[in-house]
Amino acid sequence: MMARNLFIPITLGLVIAFLIGPFLIIVAASFSGGETLAFPPQGFSLRWIAKVFTVESFRDSFFMSLFLAVGGTLVALILGIPASYALSRYKLPGAETIRTIVSAPIIVPGIIVGLSLLRYIVVPFQVGITLALFLAHTALILPYAVRVVSASLGNLRSDIEEAAVLLGSSRLGAFFRVVLPNIRGGIMSAFILGFVTSFNQVPVSLFLSGPGVRTLPVDMIAYMEIVFDPSVAALSALLAFMSIGIVFLAERFLGFSRYV
Amino acid sequence: MFQNRAEALALALPAALFAAAVFIAPVVILLSDGFRAPGGGWTISAYTEFFSSSLNQAVFLRTLKLGALVTIVAAVIGYAAAFAIVSLEPGKKGKVTGLIVLPLMISPVARTYAWIVILGRTGIVNQAFQALGLSEAPLRILFSETAIFIGLLQLFLPLMIISLISALENMPKDAIPAARVLGANWFQVFWKVILPLTKEGVVIGGTLVFTGCLTAYITPAILGGSKVLMLETLLYQQVTVSNNFVAASVIALILIVMSFAANILLKRVATARNKTRSA
Repeated sequence: MMARNLFIPITLGLVIAFLIGPFLIIVAASFSGGETLAFPPQGFSLRWIAKVFTVESFRDSFFMSLFLAVGGTLVALILGIPASYALSRYKLPGAETIRTIVSAPIIVPGIIVGLSLLRYIVVPFQVGITLALFLAHTALILPYAVRVVSASLGNLRSDIEEAAVLLGSSRLGAFFRVVLPNIRGGIMSAFILGFVTSFNQVPVSLFLSGPGVRTLPVDMIAYMEIVFDPSVAALSALLAFMSIGIVFLAERFLGFSRYV
Repeated sequence: MFQNRAEALALALPAALFAAAVFIAPVVILLSDGFRAPGGGWTISAYTEFFSSSLNQAVFLRTLKLGALVTIVAAVIGYAAAFAIVSLEPGKKGKVTGLIVLPLMISPVARTYAWIVILGRTGIVNQAFQALGLSEAPLRILFSETAIFIGLLQLFLPLMIISLISALENMPKDAIPAARVLGANWFQVFWKVILPLTKEGVVIGGTLVFTGCLTAYITPAILGGSKVLMLETLLYQQVTVSNNFVAASVIALILIVMSFAANILLKRVATARNKTRSA
């Protein structure tokens, strides 16, 4: 029995150390006073965290990533909510085909999505890089939006909207006054999942970079190839806390994990 | 269920057309490039050429090998971790599961970057080895298969653990004590009771980990460097260094076929389970 009692804490301790430890090291390294990235950190300072905010390319690419994550998720939801509604409430011919088409971007590796967009949309149609990135991120988020909203529609009984229609509401009115308020949590969860997925996404954006147009993670990779100072560690730590904070609040107020 | 077809199509088509135009059409054209003969017509010579190069063969086999190795090791660690988590009391269980899921929310760039600090020439591992007198000169761990393996395992282990937690929770509670009473040792309990009853969970987790490894770009790019390539980094190099779009198309199809195969396997296991349930 003794062996069993030790098995649980030792296993969990090792696994959590392996999964979380590297992240804690990044946090510690970002408070370093030294010139190069090292652990244990040499001295203590906030200079690298301060430096993150002064690097111009980080600032530009941060706003680019923010724009793609928020805008792309919104458009994916505007396309995805009606599609999910049609798939779950209507007898639709070819429903499986439509579901497959809409969720295909999740199966194909991102690097291929980025390359094919570059070759066959950006170059032949002279589409700007920003628009191409926007299209790519929207396509990438769409499967998540449809999946999460569909799950939340599945949990909602469909007879309440039928009752609303019988009582004289229009179909559209029933959707906005009965269905939408009831799936609000699912939509918010889809938004957060889409935001985090888009913000952390690298392979899709890899080929879609132009002069001054880059997403933040791609910019970080480019920076760390040239400069080996702790500022990327500091930025990584800040971004991680941002993601964790968003997901924590979502779990607290929406019960995020019910939908994902 | 509403019956109006026109209404249903009007709701569903914008999303489907968007995905078809922005995603499916360009990807299909890209994949067809690998079969186009220079003078017109179709050929598979790009594929025979790709596989005749020993470098490409090595990259292909390395991708398969690392994917399989990470999946197997993740399954072994995953069983131990999931088993430990399932036997915790409910309050603790939620907190520990939260800690396991947490890394999934952190940018893969940040998570991979941490390994440079740990595995680099002056990293923690080398400091420890030298302090303990295990090695004279710093070991070269970064830019190797070992580094990629560690990075991928850390990236995808949570997916395996989560799949196994739900599989173990759905297992009948008295199956293990029953087997013990009947005289099975722990090895037999795992092999004859736990594994068959959680097969579905380990297949789902394994598919997620394996496809994750195939399509990971950041980890091999940062931890493998420009010499130790995987299919994703080879594709990137073919485009940016060699301008070889035909080879890129060949690699793209290989990656897609491999991840589709893994997904079909996943679907088959999932439907097999629904059949046994309804029977």
